[in-house]
Amino acid sequence: MEVLILFLMIVGLMLLGLPIAVSLGFSSIVFLLVLSDSSLASIAQTFFQAMAGHYTLLAIPFFVLASSFMSTGGVAKRIIRFSIALVGHFPGGLAIAGVFACMMFAALSGSSPATVVAIGSIVIAGMRETGYTKEFAAGVIANAGTLGILIPPSIVMVVYASATDVSVGRMFLAGVIPGLLAGFMLMLTIYIMARVKNLPRGEWRGWAEVFASGREAGWGLMLIVIILGGIYGGIFTPTEAAAVAAVYAFFIACFVYRDMGPLHVKGEGRNLSLLRKPAALVSVFFHRDVRDTLFEAGKLTVTLMFIIANALILKHVLTDEQIPQQISAAMLSAGFGPIMFLIIVNVILLIGGQFMEPSGLLIIVAPLVFPIAMELGIDPIHLGIIMVVNMEIGMITPPVGLNLFVTSGVANMPMMKVVKAALPFTAVLFVFLIMVTYIPIISTWLPTLMMGPEVLVR
Amino acid sequence: MSSGYQPTSALGRIVHEFEETAIAVILGLMTIITFINVVLRYGFNTGLIWGLEAVTFLFAWLVLFGMSYAVKVTAHLGVDAVINLFSSPVRRVIALVASVICIVYAMLLLKGAWDYWAPFAGLDATSGRWFPTGFENSRDQAWYSTVDIPMPEWLRFIEASMNQGEAYEKLPRFIPYVMLPIGMALLLFRFIQAAVRIFTGVSTSLIVSHEAEDDIEAVKHMNAGD
Amino acid sequence: ACDDGEILIKFSHVTNTDKHPKGIAATLLAERVNAEMNGKACMEVFPNSTLYNDDQVLEAMLQGDVQMAAPSLSKFEQFTKQFRIFDLPFMFKNINAVDEFQSSETGQAMKASMERRGLSGLQFWHNGMKQMSANKPLNLPSDADGLKFRVQASDVIKAQMEAIGVSPQPMAFSEVYGALQTGVVDGQENTWSNIYGQKFFEVQDGITETNHGVLDYMVVTSTDWWNSLPDDVRTQLATILEEVTTTRNAAVGEVDAEARQAILDAGSNIIELDAATRQIWVDAMMPVWAEFTGDVGQENIDAAQAINAKH
Ligand code: NA
Ligand code: NA
Repeated sequence: MEVLILFLMIVGLMLLGLPIAVSLGFSSIVFLLVLSDSSLASIAQTFFQAMAGHYTLLAIPFFVLASSFMSTGGVAKRIIRFSIALVGHFPGGLAIAGVFACMMFAALSGSSPATVVAIGSIVIAGMRETGYTKEFAAGVIANAGTLGILIPPSIVMVVYASATDVSVGRMFLAGVIPGLLAGFMLMLTIYIMARVKNLPRGEWRGWAEVFASGREAGWGLMLIVIILGGIYGGIFTPTEAAAVAAVYAFFIACFVYRDMGPLHVKGEGRNLSLLRKPAALVSVFFHRDVRDTLFEAGKLTVTLMFIIANALILKHVLTDEQIPQQISAAMLSAGFGPIMFLIIVNVILLIGGQFMEPSGLLIIVAPLVFPIAMELGIDPIHLGIIMVVNMEIGMITPPVGLNLFVTSGVANMPMMKVVKAALPFTAVLFVFLIMVTYIPIISTWLPTLMMGPEVLVR
Repeated sequence: MSSGYQPTSALGRIVHEFEETAIAVILGLMTIITFINVVLRYGFNTGLIWGLEAVTFLFAWLVLFGMSYAVKVTAHLGVDAVINLFSSPVRRVIALVASVICIVYAMLLLKGAWDYWAPFAGLDATSGRWFPTGFENSRDQAWYSTVDIPMPEWLRFIEASMNQGEAYEKLPRFIPYVMLPIGMALLLFRFIQAAVRIFTGVSTSLIVSHEAEDDIEAVKHMNAGD
Repeated sequence: ACDDGEILIKFSHVTNTDKHPKGIAATLLAERVNAEMNGKACMEVFPNSTLYNDDQVLEAMLQGDVQMAAPSLSKFEQFTKQFRIFDLPFMFKNINAVDEFQSSETGQAMKASMERRGLSGLQFWHNGMKQMSANKPLNLPSDADGLKFRVQASDVIKAQMEAIGVSPQPMAFSEVYGALQTGVVDGQENTWSNIYGQKFFEVQDGITETNHGVLDYMVVTSTDWWNSLPDDVRTQLATILEEVTTTRNAAVGEVDAEARQAILDAGSNIIELDAATRQIWVDAMMPVWAEFTGDVGQENIDAAQAINAKH
């Protein structure tokens, strides 16, 4: 009963226009002070330990930073050029290339909105020029952008792993096949629509363009190899992989692409070569572009972690009051089986996704449902992927969805129009959710192959 | 860089520049220390044993220091779908109520942060459950040190007053933890400022509706018009 | 859940509730307290680091937010450097010697040694003796030269590893399995029950039965809280805790042997050391003692060695 009041209070405060983080934190503090004998000092400790005690979450600032350098450093436009060279000549070519580019950028970035901003802003404009409607373009990108959290690396997977103590490396591997599958389903849908509606196609520019653009984009795409190769090759842990990715992205952006930093020349002029300005090796650390990119990534990290830290206060309060055990007992005694349970999880996440930023939502929901899932014999990796796909759908369904907002902003059109435009592709993702929910092997096959069977240490 | 907020006074510009640079530097340090440790371990079979702990403390500093900045530039995420349904005078009243709750939140956290930190610094925590009613006699925990971070030699002068003359083997915990009360005090200050801005009509809300709002502003022109 | 009027005792730990020696003991303790002290006291156990991890729990205890915990002995080195004796390599011959040392006057004094810091030690709980594992068989200390081992945060253990040419690496416990598997680190040291429970044996090519160190826990409580309890409650609680300790510590040899056998059955390579080879390991690591004698106290080392002679 008290829990219900707590959750109503959180939602109520959010709707009043309080920051999500404050709604979570304030409600939890009031709840704790009224109901338990814990002190305010314990809240401060939880807040500090949200960062200092959760080593896994460190991957968040590093992946955000890598993504920041990639966006500022011009990797998006090179990926798009490569995509168009490769698949632009199919029916619906530019749309398919847009999805393909989103998939590639998703493999460099841990967040969905970041993927939409980076790829969407360029591709939507490009699609309109070649004769697509703005609606169609926005619908495609809003959906394909959600792959940002399904194709590794993924901030949402990091948060899930941190909340449930499953391996981040395993979660990343688990996302690869579902990510490719979802991307493929979207591309296939576009292809069929293109054949039926006779959508425009680009011209084949030959293998030379494929190789030329591929070589350019390759510097950015190498990051995928570095992240996955480094983790599974025993060079670094997933958290460290994120830091290495950030350093690599910084290097590529400032010294290879030179779209930012001391070697960048604004306007039409050619960028400088390092040979002509070797001092750049030192001055780059003090360059305004570098500071601004670090700062922007830092600011985004702060807003995400402020929510997560307050969600962890809520989690602390729930644990302290032994709420997960009560919910778990109630659900098990109600006789829910795995199928019913997964439906309930899907519904909770879809509703919760209307209000909350995905990582904050996950950190609250995961500890509540994880013990039940273990009781019911659901694979923790499989559960994680289901949750991620749910978050994806939550982002593109009305009334509230992160990707809808971002797409409507990027495409400069009203949100309800984006919703309508996205609908056919959202339906595809729903089919995909059902597939992922009831065919566990889609998620578990690759991690099992690469890392052996799942180990349940608890 | 951040859209919307522009410091007006010279002091404001200096503070603004300091805040943004501090955020950038902390994140840069975290990245570089982690990267160096990977290189040292993989390439040279060694490592900075204090690196891991130092990076987690810097992470805490980043968020604790940065959250007040995010209040200043209205970067914290929220849901504006419902408040947007109201007329602007009603919205203003709602925003004022919201700011008062935020101020109370920051006050509670500031008390918690002080109570948590003070014993580590050999000071007294406050009494009272919700709000401070005075000081209570706290057990001195200034001896409590971090796990892996060495005590810098130049800092040894604090041992006389902080640790009853005993030598610290590792950096005492009150140093990394000090960002808690500082961060919460800054948060309280910025929420009070935000409330004043809403009261005087300079701004209308405490939140942005999503994390990429700034970036969207930057690319919006590309798809302008029909 | 607890009834009104009962004294609430929160016990926070970091393992499971039914397989790990510490988890089993904590579960048994809570069962007995809740049955026998019904109406007076009530114990809630928070396992799996759901409430606090080992680093946070002592801070929380000093703050009064949790009443009992059982961190590993290394965690108390911050409070009293004497505790470093349990991390020194080859200080104790076997778990029986450890047990006798802990029960001796010296061991009992160590439990009380942190009261000036606000913590009271109540009982020692065993896990067992530590073994070495790596991604290659370790017959001699020189086999470990140049490898990277994940270690607990303890200056003694770092020094011990450096003594055999191993590079000690700090790492969050949740990352260890993956790091051993991919080779980010080459090896680790742990007890049989932990190597089995965390499945480390699956991703290592050999476990050397060195018995070189001890991994034990101490049940602690806040001195202020403990002294604030009514006399009858404190006495009854202490009695139950002592009985649980005796039962579970006696069973630990069995748990250890079962884990060792299960690892063997899984087809893992366990390297047993004959007396001469073991002596080579001892000689390689013993120099570490000198570095920490000042912290530990020569008289404590002498007491431990006197007990070793009897086992
Ligand atoms: Na991604
Ligand atoms: Na939604």
